[in-house]
Amino acid sequence: MQARDVFSFSFSAIKLRKLRAGLTILGVVIGIAAIVALLSISQGLQTTITNQVEKGVGANTLVVTAGKNGFGASGGLSSGSLIPSAPTSLSGTASAPILYLNYTSEIQTLSPEINTVVAVVQQSGFIQNGDKVIQINGGIVAVNFSEYVNTYGDTFKAESGTIPLNPSENDIVIGQRIHDPEQNGTIFADINNQVNVIWTNTTQLPYTNQSYTGTVVAVLPKIGGFGISGPSDTGVYVPITKAQSFFGTDEAASIIVTLKNSDNATITSVSKLITNYFDNQVTVTSAADVSSTISTLSSTLNLFLGGVAAISLFVAGIGIMNIMIVSLIERTREIGILKALGMKSRTVLAIFLGESVIIGLIGAVVGIILGWVLSNVVALGFSAASSGITLTPILTPEVALLAVGFGVCVSTVFALYPAWRASKLRPVEALRYE
Amino acid sequence: MNNEIKKTVVEAVDLKKTYTVGKIPVEALREANLRVESGEFLSILGPSGSGKSTLLNLIGALDKPTSGRLLIDGVDLSTLNDNQLTGVRLRIGFVFQFFNLIPRLSALDNVELPLSIAGVSRSERRKRAQQLLEDVGLRDRMNHKPAELSGGQQQRVAVARALANNPAFLLMDEPTGNVDSKTASEVMALVKKLNSKGVTIVMVTHDQHLAMEANRTVKVLDGVIASDMVN
Repeated sequence: MQARDVFSFSFSAIKLRKLRAGLTILGVVIGIAAIVALLSISQGLQTTITNQVEKGVGANTLVVTAGKNGFGASGGLSSGSLIPSAPTSLSGTASAPILYLNYTSEIQTLSPEINTVVAVVQQSGFIQNGDKVIQINGGIVAVNFSEYVNTYGDTFKAESGTIPLNPSENDIVIGQRIHDPEQNGTIFADINNQVNVIWTNTTQLPYTNQSYTGTVVAVLPKIGGFGISGPSDTGVYVPITKAQSFFGTDEAASIIVTLKNSDNATITSVSKLITNYFDNQVTVTSAADVSSTISTLSSTLNLFLGGVAAISLFVAGIGIMNIMIVSLIERTREIGILKALGMKSRTVLAIFLGESVIIGLIGAVVGIILGWVLSNVVALGFSAASSGITLTPILTPEVALLAVGFGVCVSTVFALYPAWRASKLRPVEALRYE
Repeated sequence: MNNEIKKTVVEAVDLKKTYTVGKIPVEALREANLRVESGEFLSILGPSGSGKSTLLNLIGALDKPTSGRLLIDGVDLSTLNDNQLTGVRLRIGFVFQFFNLIPRLSALDNVELPLSIAGVSRSERRKRAQQLLEDVGLRDRMNHKPAELSGGQQQRVAVARALANNPAFLLMDEPTGNVDSKTASEVMALVKKLNSKGVTIVMVTHDQHLAMEANRTVKVLDGVIASDMVN
């Protein structure tokens, strides 16, 4: 019997029991759709996160923070430790390692691979325009504007106004969500506005609010995402000279180092140079570090969700086995006739497997489509719920192929036993079956 | 369908079939000897339990004998495995008491089925199936499903299907057992017509009158061939 005839015979059997076949297919559809939706969402999420991280940190950027307890652990736990090898050791009596603004020039000399070094001073505070006050979530960030432009040229640029490279002390650059906090056209502050920057000094008791009035000279474009370092939508940017006078400190929250190359070898070697230079009292974080941490997390999540989806596919497989056994019993006589007409056992096997492969294929194709629709709906919901981050689900051909392969595999494996039993039926008994 | 050269289509020598029901062996067929030449119209007559169904299953290559020799169209069944046995069935045209058409297929598709099993190409088998249905007088019923056909028409479809692969002989099991007497005589007329054209026919029945329609009748009783005579 020719393969095409086997296939069309299988198909005629499926067509006879449309509702039953439909329900069985639905089982496969749900399993496949779940897998496709989960994989494409998580792949999209991973890409979004990686992009955001690289936008926030920069692929060729290292963030140096004090302390050796990982990213953001600026209040190091190694109590009483100084930074002994820092030549201009101004660490004083502080109990935790401290980064100073003038370390930038020392770091600059460490390697010819280093492009720019910029120190960032950051404090929390409020901004006031007229009678309205909002909290500055991204912090009052004091930086050298020209160095910062060199480092974050992609994001630290003016959407309106201009960022002065030699700013006067009271110049202020604001992020998009300070300009328009709700992103709905209700402007809080615009260029040429006189605004009050308010800082709560918590270094001595009693706490006092200090403020000064500055002029908004530029508004940043919408950046979105994860402001791990680098400009953020909710930041207020002031010249570094202002930090020293206003905050009264030489302490940097972090030092941003950009490299001439963003390959792993350069990142690793420069990271090591910096950590060694500060005798392991600092942490150097790269975009790759953050991305890989997130990747590890998301692949663990993938595995878990994939497992859940696989269970639903397994259940679908049992459904297929069930329907095939029922079908086998119903069609015992038919199998007897086919064998009496000279059909070989392996052709009977092929007919039954063919039915389940058709079910698996239809289920997989519909499942991929449904999963894709589902992931887009979820992505829309996610994008609407999270401000500024758009999630685009990604369906790679590999995932689609995997889904089809999975659907066909599951349906074939679970149909093997019923098909084998059908092929082993003895014609004499099968013909006698009522 | 060449009856000029006489050819033995069925040859049974000391054929024996024993079934084991529970732990007790039942001898359904004991040392049956039979020879059917091409072009013959033979009836196998016997009451139920006589062993005629066992003989039918053996001649139809649906089952293998316990001992003895059975040659179908020159092929010794005792040397074949299940798969090869299946191949032998392509040379036997079955007509069953209950028609045994595939309900979801049209008359045409039912007749095409054995051709498709034999691997005949689509266009060729369509042509042949149409011709066969025309020969049994069902030209205008080709696209009907079995349920839309009368018993006599269904049996004619079954005959057309049995003839599809040019079998060595037609093996009919109570071909008129499930139709009324008028239809029965129509079916028998068709069978005789086929035989007159050279088709070898082996018909198994419990009906004495029907058996007498054949040229030769073999009576089976208690697992042995009790008589073998020309009518």
